[in-house]
Amino acid sequence: MSQTFDKMTSIVLFIIGILFIAQATQISDSAYGSAVGPKTFPLALGIVLVLLSLRLFYETWRQAVKARLAKGPETPSKTSSIEIKKFLLLFVSALAYVFFLEIVGYVITTFIFLLIGFQTMERGKIISSVIISVAFSVGIYYLFSVILGGSLPSFPTF
Amino acid sequence: MSTLQFLADGFAVAFQWQNLLFAFVGVIIGTAVGVLPGIGPMSGVALLIPVTATLTSGLPTEAAAASSIILLAGVYYGAMYGGSTTSILLNTPGESSSVVTTLDGYQMAKQGRAGSALSIAAIGSFCAGIVSLLGLVLLAKPLSSIALKFGPAEYFSLMLLGLAAVSGLAGRSITKALIMTVLGLMLGTVGIDAVSGIERFTFGQPMLFSGIEFLTIAVGLFALGEVFKTILEKDDDDGQIAKINRILPTKQDLKDSAIPIARGSFLGFFIGVLPGAGATLASFFSYITEKKFSKTPEKFGQGHIAGVAGPESANNAASGGAMIPLLTLGIPGSGTTAILMGALIMYNIQPGPLLFDEHPEVAWGLIASMFIGNLMLLILNMPLVRVFAKVIETPKKYLLPIIIAISFFGVYAVQYTTFDLYLLLACGVLGYLFAKNDYPVAPLVLALVLGPMIENNMRRALTISNGDFSIFVTKPLSLVFLIVAVSWLLVPIFMKMRGKNVLINEEA
Repeated sequence: MSQTFDKMTSIVLFIIGILFIAQATQISDSAYGSAVGPKTFPLALGIVLVLLSLRLFYETWRQAVKARLAKGPETPSKTSSIEIKKFLLLFVSALAYVFFLEIVGYVITTFIFLLIGFQTMERGKIISSVIISVAFSVGIYYLFSVILGGSLPSFPTF
Repeated sequence: MSTLQFLADGFAVAFQWQNLLFAFVGVIIGTAVGVLPGIGPMSGVALLIPVTATLTSGLPTEAAAASSIILLAGVYYGAMYGGSTTSILLNTPGESSSVVTTLDGYQMAKQGRAGSALSIAAIGSFCAGIVSLLGLVLLAKPLSSIALKFGPAEYFSLMLLGLAAVSGLAGRSITKALIMTVLGLMLGTVGIDAVSGIERFTFGQPMLFSGIEFLTIAVGLFALGEVFKTILEKDDDDGQIAKINRILPTKQDLKDSAIPIARGSFLGFFIGVLPGAGATLASFFSYITEKKFSKTPEKFGQGHIAGVAGPESANNAASGGAMIPLLTLGIPGSGTTAILMGALIMYNIQPGPLLFDEHPEVAWGLIASMFIGNLMLLILNMPLVRVFAKVIETPKKYLLPIIIAISFFGVYAVQYTTFDLYLLLACGVLGYLFAKNDYPVAPLVLALVLGPMIENNMRRALTISNGDFSIFVTKPLSLVFLIVAVSWLLVPIFMKMRGKNVLINEEA
């Protein structure tokens, strides 16, 4: 699990490093022609990242060989499918929250997000969930927008 | 003006009613953050930056910076107090810096001495806090006047040293830590180049012109990352909370813990000053030292008061000590101080040697408020320890979605774009994956904060030397910093190699 992640990361980082170098060379030189322009530092970083990703790949590969020799079974993942489902639900509702924030306004989206969040974490206790969600969304909005004079998208614009 | 005069002015700032309130709120939230196992000081501080930014938005910049840094620092050292509570009562450390406290603290709680363990921890933390503050007061002026003589080459090397130290001590694999550092530096280059005004890596996207906001990255990687981790990795540690019978320690306990507290304070302070070594290492070292010096080392692990007093003092002293490089040199030595530095930069206040001259209100106000905050924590922790113990029982069901909502609100209130919220979510997932696979996140944040400064100092130094890179090794101080930086990275590798050899020898 972790080794596949490391291998993937090293490949992704290698590509990022190459792209970074390629992009860095595109940066135009500074006008006054000083020896070290805006591209030097990013260029160096890109090279270092490529080297490090190679090193990570090598380390992972060596570890994999060692693990195969030791015949150690892969440690089973602790995460069960229920938790993954919970996380995905929460994550998707967070995405929806962001998407609707500027359209529907802060109070309503926050209320709905919190309610879904509480119920996703653990079913039941609807009344206290509703009370806490209302208190939080209205409370923050009131404190921030009304008392402190900040700006939040308030209510639906339509 | 003398140091005492400055300190008096600092107290004048700290005693303004709003700053007293900020310090109070900071230490309360800090204690809660310390008690709650899900949230560490880093995510606590990161989450509160946007909140403080909005709270102080009506004040003039300097006063706002002073107030919010007072609150944020309060969260930082408050968490050190709070971390001990769960270690002692529940056997689950609230912070990594309180891990060793569980060894003896929980045993004491089992024997019905939870109250005296908690109060000794609070007293020790207080003494350590005061010791490290006195150190800060004494060292602030001399250190910053030395640092004033640094040129760009010295600064460049010193910052590299800071990065190397944090990477060298973070996590199991140095390669991974270095990768995170480089990624942080890369993220720091996005945006319009401060020197030439040329845009870099923006791909023509206007929201990238001002660079990637450090706040979004920090909140995402730490706070959201930890939330996701708690959701995905369910741990059923519904242990019994030990009862607290009496709160005041016995005379014997006080006598037994006086010397460990003193030792822990000094040890922790010096470890805290070193970049990279933070509160966690300090508490481990202190525990080992106490065991070594003790006449009854066999009693450790069975509820020895010294095993609580030493480490708890050390981790608090270390958090005070870590403020020294941040305030005097402008170089954070740990993840949390990097976040504090980011907060100061948000207010356009550059930590470093000039801080004490240009913004004495901020620097000395902070120091004075830390005295007050430590006193508040001592007073709060003794009678209110039962209340804080109740905080542990906050159901995760409500806590986690609310943390997500707070981080969204915070980032949006400061940035006003949903782009940053998407970035925040992405960082949360990445933060979880990174932490799960042993990629330390703190170096990335540190590098993101230091990156632009490293680059600017490098270019200034190279402009002075006409593009000759040897300037970094011909200046003696700069050379020393670089050598220390390299050895910081290499020594652990050598030690690991030697450790392996030793192991092989034992087997053979």
